[in-house]
Amino acid sequence: MLKVEHLTKVYDNGTVALRDVSFTVEEGEFLVVIGLSGSGKSTLLRCINRLVEPTEGRIVWNDVDITALDEAGLRRVRREIGFIFQEFNLVERISVLQNVLSGRLGYVNPWWSLMYYFPPEERQRALEALETVGLREKAHVRASDLSGGQKQRVAIARALMQEPKLILADEPVASLDPVLAHSIMGYLERLNREQGVTVICSLHYLDLVQRYATRVIGLREGRLVYEGTREDIRRLSDEEFKRIYGEEAQRLGG
Amino acid sequence: MTFWRRLLHAVLSLLVPGLGQAWAGQFRRGFYIFLATFSLAGLTVFTAAQRARFPEQVYGLSFTVFLRLTVLAFLTLGALLLLYSGFSRRVPQDEYTRRMTFLGFLLVVVLVYFPLVGPQLLEVAMPPAGSRQLYGTLLMTMAAVVAGLWWWNIVDAWHVRPDEAQMGWSGLIALTLVGLLILGNWIVEINVPKAIREYRETSRILGDILWPWRAAFDYRASELRATARIQAPCPPGSQPPPVNQPRDDGPWVVVEPTCGQLSTRDDKGRLQYGTLLTIRGGGFVPGKKVKIKWENPIGNEFTPRGVGPTEIEVGPDGTFETQMYIPDVVIPDIAKGPQIHKLHVVQPGALRFTGTLSREMKLALQAMLVSIMMGFMATFVGMVLAVPLSFLAARNLMSTLRVSMQGLLGGVLGLSLGGWLGLQAAHWVSRQMGGLEQAPVAVALTSAVLVGGMALVGFRLMGRAQERLMAHMPAAVRTAIRMVGLAALLAVPGALLGLGYARGILALAWPPEEVAVVEPKLMWAVSGLAAIVGLVIGYRWPESRPVPLGQGIYAVVRLIMNVVRSIEPLIWGLVGVIWVGLGPFAGFIALTLHTIAALGKLYSEAIESIHPGPIEAIQSTGANRLQTIMYAVLPQVLPHFTAYSLYRWDINVRMSTVIGLVGGGGIGFLLIQWIRQVQYQHAGLAVWLIALTVATLDFVSAGIRKRLV
Repeated sequence: MLKVEHLTKVYDNGTVALRDVSFTVEEGEFLVVIGLSGSGKSTLLRCINRLVEPTEGRIVWNDVDITALDEAGLRRVRREIGFIFQEFNLVERISVLQNVLSGRLGYVNPWWSLMYYFPPEERQRALEALETVGLREKAHVRASDLSGGQKQRVAIARALMQEPKLILADEPVASLDPVLAHSIMGYLERLNREQGVTVICSLHYLDLVQRYATRVIGLREGRLVYEGTREDIRRLSDEEFKRIYGEEAQRLGG
Repeated sequence: MTFWRRLLHAVLSLLVPGLGQAWAGQFRRGFYIFLATFSLAGLTVFTAAQRARFPEQVYGLSFTVFLRLTVLAFLTLGALLLLYSGFSRRVPQDEYTRRMTFLGFLLVVVLVYFPLVGPQLLEVAMPPAGSRQLYGTLLMTMAAVVAGLWWWNIVDAWHVRPDEAQMGWSGLIALTLVGLLILGNWIVEINVPKAIREYRETSRILGDILWPWRAAFDYRASELRATARIQAPCPPGSQPPPVNQPRDDGPWVVVEPTCGQLSTRDDKGRLQYGTLLTIRGGGFVPGKKVKIKWENPIGNEFTPRGVGPTEIEVGPDGTFETQMYIPDVVIPDIAKGPQIHKLHVVQPGALRFTGTLSREMKLALQAMLVSIMMGFMATFVGMVLAVPLSFLAARNLMSTLRVSMQGLLGGVLGLSLGGWLGLQAAHWVSRQMGGLEQAPVAVALTSAVLVGGMALVGFRLMGRAQERLMAHMPAAVRTAIRMVGLAALLAVPGALLGLGYARGILALAWPPEEVAVVEPKLMWAVSGLAAIVGLVIGYRWPESRPVPLGQGIYAVVRLIMNVVRSIEPLIWGLVGVIWVGLGPFAGFIALTLHTIAALGKLYSEAIESIHPGPIEAIQSTGANRLQTIMYAVLPQVLPHFTAYSLYRWDINVRMSTVIGLVGGGGIGFLLIQWIRQVQYQHAGLAVWLIALTVATLDFVSAGIRKRLV
């Protein structure tokens, strides 16, 4: 269970990205965060694994206060939280396999890993993860040679290597076309359903939200402005959606 | 109206009164101001000139000097503008700071501008010594009025309401450029006619340098030579040397008689002739000249002067005949008695190409190899050392490195402790390996690893221990520890600062005895002050506030690299020569130092320009700092690192040829020697080799870089 309590983030340049945000995520939920760009979605997700240091407030995950952890403790928590980025963030100049293996860095012997060595069972695990996302044959291709959708699947395989209990996905499909979007969301949904991984995902499109979310929270200018269950969302009309979301909201289908 | 626009108006009006107003669209106002200021200024000069009763001279002088002054002013202002815009990238936000900045800038301009212009203006206005006293006061007053008007016009330009039209900098830049060109031409003393007139003198030397290849090979001189022996004086009672006989199989010479008296010089230096010799020869190449040389008893050959012809045309049958007196040969007193001299007849032939490289060419090739290797070694060592430094000098990596205050205090303690332990261990290991002279590389490497590693481990362990320990203490104790720790931490640099001030600054003016008395006092005083500052900071420091350790390291490393980089390799070469003596090692040291700094900067900028995304991604997997660098940073920067290193190798080989000029070994050393010995052909060889090497390397490295990036 993840509890976010009174989370506030003020950046060094004075921008207030989050104001007193509190919510709870139960084990196994598929929580979707909606909101305009600039509403604080990315900051919220990055605060949870402390890629961004929160200014105030606490984040408690399974009774561990993430905000109070020292570096070593933070690394132990991070390795169980997968993070999917909008821009995939693969390391372009190394192979797909090495990108996937890098998801295991929190577990393996750090000294061996500095020499780019991974034990055979880890390599096997990486190949299986690639198999899961259907990219087994691309293992030795340079990451820069992949298409957008393939890159995101590699990123998912990288997250799989972490054996995550929680996946944070920051607009995972915003850079992809609609068909690919469903395929990527499908992987996340399967992880959520079959392995009970909690997913917190920010999204743009109403139909994707309605299709995949079990719960939704809405952010506007850093404030929590909406909280609803799966049923609430299904009942939402476009107008209500736009009211929460802002005028720019749209359906994926157009 | 923006600050920059106001500044532009003010600066324009500073250059030419009214120009700023005109720029802002207030043409009439600008015109009036221009007329007012310049007519007053002109009146001042004119008055001075009239009253000094040298109107023509003064006027003429004032005009040229005024022109130069204007150019100088343009130059000064251009430089100041550049400096100003370079130093303050950010425009201050609030009005007050902005005004203060501007005033400060103006002050600098005035301080530089008026002292430059003022004295010369006065000089222009008052040439004769007699009138100086009389009109000085008047002129000063008038000049003050002009200056005041000028100043008011600047203030006016600052406040003037501009047109809404967009403005550009092109006008100012053009003006500055014109000023620079005029001034530059004058300072550099460019003189085209002279260059054309005196080219002829250079052409021979230039030819030697441009095509020096004759000096690259050995040539064998094929000459015909015949020798006859003459005894001087004639030996009493014994036989003189036998007379030569003509031969058929080669050159011959017959001299008669074969003994006689040497010519001598009287007290006035006039030559008194000795015995006349008849010289006949044959077997030489017809139609060409032969030369007569004299060899004295100790084997020195010379051309005899003033005793007869020494160059004789050979007849069609290959023979010749001539006469000459025995030359005056200085014989030391101890060598009295008859001596055997030799007369040579030499006919120089064509030089024959042997196909072997000359000694100089071999030397030049060797030196070139030394230079190339010097550049290579400097690049490699510099690269190895620059990589870790560059990570410390990359802002994006270092800005996230923060530690808590208590962690820092414990860490510094651990750092010194670990460093000391590492030093002891390094000493022990070095003794086991047989000392620095026995195994230099191994000892240096293990020492560096031991000292650096143990210091880092100490920092880490003690920092953590301190954090853990202090977490369980009451707040008052924590504050006390912070205060004491910070006071101790600051006291050390404080003491150094005091010592440095005493030795570096006070010693400039004070006699050494007094400095010696004050030195310890000053050291303790500054140290104490720093400690008090530490106490205050320690007391006020909020518990949760991290210390930006990374930014501190970043600033220090950058500062050092910038200082080292801004000192030219040639100057480092001088340092190297003083340090380890003449030779390639000195050049290597110079190039390596400069390479570390230059590559460190290039590398760190490559690191700063990488995509932050992969770093976030790798951090999210729970990777530690080193893993993040190896997986997210290194793959992104490696191609850039390689390209920069190749580029640097290119530069270093080029520099290594020059570093020899200051004694750093390699081909430059040879080049400067040959130039000093006026051996332009040999110097040309060196120049050619350098050019060929540099061109080849440039070509190769460009090719490799193109493939990499």
